[in-house]
Amino acid sequence: MQNNLSERRETEGISQGDLAEAVDVTRQTINAIERNRYDPSLELAFDLATHFDCAIEEIFDPDDGED
Amino acid sequence: MTTITVMSRLGRRTYRRLVYGIVAVAVLGLFVGIALGQHLAGAVVYLLGTWIGGTITVAAPRLSDRTLQDERDYELHNHASGLALRVTMVLGLSVLPVLYVLDAGGQFEISGAVSGMVLTLSALFLLYGICYGIVK
Repeated sequence: MQNNLSERRETEGISQGDLAEAVDVTRQTINAIERNRYDPSLELAFDLATHFDCAIEEIFDPDDGED
Repeated sequence: MTTITVMSRLGRRTYRRLVYGIVAVAVLGLFVGIALGQHLAGAVVYLLGTWIGGTITVAAPRLSDRTLQDERDYELHNHASGLALRVTMVLGLSVLPVLYVLDAGGQFEISGAVSGMVLTLSALFLLYGICYGIVK
């Protein structure tokens, strides 16, 4: 699962810790998502989409190029 | 400052260091107690450490204003638990029948320690089955 969370966060000018606090997870989880080492739950994906005021598929791309 | 106030201000790093530190002291205390022949003192230190550490582990995430654990921690825990169980199962299934066959043939004697281990593993898998049924 690819994502553009890092770009969106930097565009907004907030840190991983700020985003983590906004969606009620740890900074380590945001870091793991940005590095494509962790796929968030549907609930967290919705929270992130709500935070960035966009659709989930605008942040996450299920096509990771390995298929 | 009350215990609840302290816990509500705990950060993730402090929380982990606190829990791991207390458990480490408890285990160390147990071994030191055994080494010095002070078994009761070692056992008391161990029990105190595990109960205090366990209480903080459960209570702090509920009382803290910050996020100390989240879904990724639970998923990592689930993966680690599943992996540990699978490794134990594979080792148990591949080794234990052989030991019993060798014991029956007289080439190997299953000691009390091995029997205890087999019983412990059996109890572990029974507990797993019960827990699986509960959470299902």
